[in-house]
Amino acid sequence: MIRRTLWFPPLAAALALAAHAQVSVPLGAEQGLAVFRSNCAFCHGADARGGRGPSLITAHMAASQDAEIRGIIKNGIPGTTMPAFGSLEKDDLDPLVTYLRSLASSGTPSAKATGDAEAGKAAYAANGCQTCHRIGFTGGLYGPELTRVGSGRSLEYIKESIVNPSADIPAGFEGVTVVEASGKKSTGIRINEDTFTLQLRLPNGKFASFDKTTAKSVTVLKQSLMPPYKLSGKTLDDLLAYLESLRGSIVTGDSAGKAKGIQ
Amino acid sequence: MRTTLALLLSAAALAAQVTPERLNNALGEPQNWLTYWGDYSAIRHRELKQINTANVKDLKLAWIYQTGRGGSNETMPLVVDGIMYLTAGDGVAMAVDAKSGRELWQYKHKYPAGVKATAVNRGFAILGTTLYMVTPDSWVVALEAATGKLVWQSEMAPWHEGTHYASLAPLAIKDKILVGISGGEQGVRGFIDAYDAKTGKRLWRFWTIPLKGEPGGDTWAGDSAQRGGGPAWMTGTYDPKLNLTYWGVGNPGPDLYGDVRKGDNLYSCSLVALDPDTGKLKWHFQFTPHDTHDWDAEETPVLLDLDWKGKPRKLVVQANRNAFFYVLDRETGEFLMGKPFMKQTWAKGLDAKGRPILDGNAEPTPEGKRVCPSLAGGANWMAPSYNPQTKLFYFQVRDACDVYYAAPPTYVEGKPYWGSVSRGVTDEKESGLLKALDPLTGETRWDFRYYRAPWAGTLSTAGGLIFSGDEDGYLMAFDAKTGKNLWKVSLGTRIVTAPITYAIDGKQYITLPSGGAVVTFTLP
Repeated sequence: MIRRTLWFPPLAAALALAAHAQVSVPLGAEQGLAVFRSNCAFCHGADARGGRGPSLITAHMAASQDAEIRGIIKNGIPGTTMPAFGSLEKDDLDPLVTYLRSLASSGTPSAKATGDAEAGKAAYAANGCQTCHRIGFTGGLYGPELTRVGSGRSLEYIKESIVNPSADIPAGFEGVTVVEASGKKSTGIRINEDTFTLQLRLPNGKFASFDKTTAKSVTVLKQSLMPPYKLSGKTLDDLLAYLESLRGSIVTGDSAGKAKGIQ
Repeated sequence: MRTTLALLLSAAALAAQVTPERLNNALGEPQNWLTYWGDYSAIRHRELKQINTANVKDLKLAWIYQTGRGGSNETMPLVVDGIMYLTAGDGVAMAVDAKSGRELWQYKHKYPAGVKATAVNRGFAILGTTLYMVTPDSWVVALEAATGKLVWQSEMAPWHEGTHYASLAPLAIKDKILVGISGGEQGVRGFIDAYDAKTGKRLWRFWTIPLKGEPGGDTWAGDSAQRGGGPAWMTGTYDPKLNLTYWGVGNPGPDLYGDVRKGDNLYSCSLVALDPDTGKLKWHFQFTPHDTHDWDAEETPVLLDLDWKGKPRKLVVQANRNAFFYVLDRETGEFLMGKPFMKQTWAKGLDAKGRPILDGNAEPTPEGKRVCPSLAGGANWMAPSYNPQTKLFYFQVRDACDVYYAAPPTYVEGKPYWGSVSRGVTDEKESGLLKALDPLTGETRWDFRYYRAPWAGTLSTAGGLIFSGDEDGYLMAFDAKTGKNLWKVSLGTRIVTAPITYAIDGKQYITLPSGGAVVTFTLP
């Protein structure tokens, strides 16, 4: 169902990376690399240049204060899949920050979108993306929310998600087809499941509950429920520029409450 | 109401003389649940059949008791002559009328000033008219069963934040109370203790990790044994005829980085057979020499008397965390059989003495190495069962692999001493099994698959039933012969202990702690 596996560089390359990090910022960077590998690499890639999550070799990282980076790691990023690493202690956190900053100042930033974001916004509407995706409170619930997709995903990942969505299906958006005893067939995204029951969100946005013990079949789809989009080079670039610009204010839930002083 | 309570209490005080003889013959009192495992052999089978394959579908809620505490309660209640005694973690315990679920008394451990300890707890032992439990700050506490009043308390080891702690249910043998220490991820040196049941005086200590100059001490490089781990965090079993008690020993420390502790690291990941009178080691068997995957041997050592290759033999069997099912001779520790019960990628097999033949490609690395089973193991502390009618061994399997990372750790007292971490494998979904296995062959008779890997245990009854729980909160009943699911109820939170059964006034009950509650079922 989810088929992209993480890529780890050969040992020699990893050691070279360690040596490199050590040269630029010797203090703590090597220990930071160990913390990075076991806690971050599975999303950000073994070389921090992005995987499912974005590249960490960015000008933003270079310009950020240590406390800011530490805060993001400890608290996660709301509205994205970046979790809170609340249990990382100072002994691990400080070397990790040192390591990340050493990468940011020494590496080449990852690719930037080159298209026109305004034109991309129009392409987003013209292609009906809002039917399934949400930005803020606007749009459908059948696909992942995109309010902050620019800060949560690498550009390469967003591009792949448009042209080949089945390459990686995010958690919470796996498609499942159920055929009930009556022969009635339903397809939706898996919201929850246990040993005996299954809860889907149907294309109309509604929840549906199924009894697995009486169903004729329950099939997890290998393909994404999102069709691949064949867009012209320019339209794709524009759309990417628009999506990358979506890193904006969070207007939903707790964060909105906090912004208004409601705790 | 007050009169009823007083009557109940006095009745309990009179009846609850739990002598060593009663403990030896606990299986002969199927209406009671007298030890953590239900009896010394830990078969967790009860000759109660009022609830059976035909009527289990009619089970109805009898009562719910709320402990008033959140989280997941790993306790196993005792039931003695109509009274249920249970612990609820963090030094809290209570007695409940097992018929109605009404509370009779509650006890709260008084922590010394400055002690901020917190831990789950797995329950009581009972001997005579006294209950015994351990506390998060590593005290053994003796309570009067009739009142919950403190009789004595004895310190296993001085409290230091983030080091050892205690969580297991004690084991009462003759006139002694046996306990073990936890803290395998904190650089402790493990031990098993015996205390005088009357006075709380410590009578012996068995160090699970030998030092230089002691037998086995040469299996640890340098002074690594000092922080060698080897906790004993699960209750042992006991054979009164052989006068041997069997305890699993936990992982060596640091968990995932073995280079600082070269050698086999005895008695980590081993089963030890001790003389309960003296604490002397009779024999040991190490399942996973020089473990680097946190594969404790804390899984239940179940004592079975079976015909082995045509001759009656006293066996101890264990479904180990390392994904192999083992059969040993429990008089001598001789290895008789070992077979993988699930997918595993670390050993090519076992040699004639039961020592693993390593795959050679399963060590944790700085970049991460995928190995099966996961760090939590193929099996773990979840209670298995043996049904003498079907002659099958029932246990819960965690069907998962992990990516294991290694990095050289620095030992700092009070800090975790892991040597890096493990992580679920991206895009590989874990699941679980209830497995029925023939202990004579290691062959699977049937499996029932759970959606997630379980932390709940099992119970077997003469009603032809196996009860179990899963990670989604279902309490379930299965046909012991076929594995057919006959009944289920969602209790709304993950289940992290095992159901038990008991009877009062001829009525059979099934009970299970779940979340902050104890939920009890019976027939209409």
